[in-house]
Amino acid sequence: MNAMPIDPPPALISARRLTKTFGNFTAVRGIDFDIRQGEILGFLGPNGAGKTTTIRMIMGLLQVTSGSILIKGYDSRTERGRIKRFLGYMSQKFFLYPLLTAEENAEFFGGIAGLDASTIRRQGERLREQIGAQRTRLKVQDLPPGIRQKVALHVCLMSEPEIILLDEPTSGVDPEVRREFWLEIYRLKKRGRTIMVTTHNLDEAEYADRILIINRGEIILTGDPQELVERRGTGTIEDLFKEAVGRHGQN
Amino acid sequence: MIRLEHISKNFGAIRALDDVSLEIPPAAITILAGPDGSGKSTLAKVLIGRIQRDSGSILIDGQDIGKEFSRITAIAGYMPERFSLYPDLTVEENLNFFSDIHQVPLRRREEMKKRLLEKTGMLPFKNRRAGALSGGMKQKLALSAILLASPQLIILDEPTTGVDPLSRIEFFAIIEELKQEGRTILISTPYLDEAEKGDYIVFLKNGRILRQEPIDELKRNFPARLFRILPTGTPLAALERWRESGAGGGALFLRGRYLRYLQESAEHGLPAIPARDVTQQEPTLEDIYIYYERHAD
Repeated sequence: MNAMPIDPPPALISARRLTKTFGNFTAVRGIDFDIRQGEILGFLGPNGAGKTTTIRMIMGLLQVTSGSILIKGYDSRTERGRIKRFLGYMSQKFFLYPLLTAEENAEFFGGIAGLDASTIRRQGERLREQIGAQRTRLKVQDLPPGIRQKVALHVCLMSEPEIILLDEPTSGVDPEVRREFWLEIYRLKKRGRTIMVTTHNLDEAEYADRILIINRGEIILTGDPQELVERRGTGTIEDLFKEAVGRHGQN
Repeated sequence: MIRLEHISKNFGAIRALDDVSLEIPPAAITILAGPDGSGKSTLAKVLIGRIQRDSGSILIDGQDIGKEFSRITAIAGYMPERFSLYPDLTVEENLNFFSDIHQVPLRRREEMKKRLLEKTGMLPFKNRRAGALSGGMKQKLALSAILLASPQLIILDEPTTGVDPLSRIEFFAIIEELKQEGRTILISTPYLDEAEKGDYIVFLKNGRILRQEPIDELKRNFPARLFRILPTGTPLAALERWRESGAGGGALFLRGRYLRYLQESAEHGLPAIPARDVTQQEPTLEDIYIYYERHAD
């Protein structure tokens, strides 16, 4: 395959020597990584590896201890208000309010995101088109998982964020719904959105352009998941993961 | 051998289980797989008597147990989806407590505890409070607690939901050992990649069985063929063009740099997509589930 040399798209998120300590415990140990515009990055690791801490630092919810993280060139330590506008967050399980209807959830989160009334109304119409008017009036807890997921993604995208953080986005949904969900993510990528996904479902990591495995606060493997598996010769991402973490040692 | 025959269960207007019949083969891993709301947890709970079935029978070695669930609980250990141990007790205290509940003889207790803690890799954590364990360790402790009673049948309801990948791998290694010891294992899971680790699969959808078969037979007899296509252009553009063309004969999906094409009949050939590489691959349980779901009606 002859690839023409082209400039890679600019880094939208750029972490340098990023470190976070909690008392004596170092959760993230001076990691460097870039996420480029239009990239789908799979962020993997065992519990306690530092995934959530890193995501929270990206979102500006946790103070960086040392090092830096820049989002579109803005420093997460000082420009949190500005950075918030670029970020959308979605999780399949713990995100929407189960006792509010789909419509009420959308209005609530639209309000939090600072959208004006006409935008919220317009977005409400889009939601009705996507899942049907009747369903928007049902409590989220009464919606089937696939529809709940559509509502969650809709809510995440209402403020048209450039960077989308997906936290376990597809657990418990139909396999076909899951594949359609990923198709939607690829469409977002095509429109230039940047996506960072954390998942415990290693087969889902195959959807990413690049994976980044973190263990004990350090990045231990990064690359195109398909290439990594092919280079290894046989097996799956699960085998890769097991090997990488095994070599590096567990907590 | 345990059989469930024509089990149905309604919750109000919702039909959670609809005429479900299945056999749980001994000394093997049977997987109940399906999305949330497909009925897999309800089925596990009906079997153990935590939920009353509306109709249908449960048979052990051909004998209908009626409502005598003690006949199941005498041989089975059930691990619910949510962590069910005492968070304020240590790992060891929890095991002591469950040894009492299961009436494990005192002289066997220490040996059992030690063996289980070793098997699950929990020995270094025996003095840790259960509430302070990671998700994966909690599940290993919960499994140990039911293993104290040496159950012949082990029923695990979504044991790895929300558990990190490494712990999931370790958990299944323990399950495999239990199978080698001759235990019968029933696991419900929404993860079809995990289901590949079973011997028998029961696909559930909306309270009904889509398909049940030994996994190797299911794969051998699968009527469609799977191809991995590396398109010359972007996979998304190729997929969207293919969908717009209304071409039939199979299903096309995106997966990273590749497209996956499930060819449902050979006469349709492969999709007309300019490709750098086309490779036939073994279908995964996810491919197979989607196929049978599409052909369910």
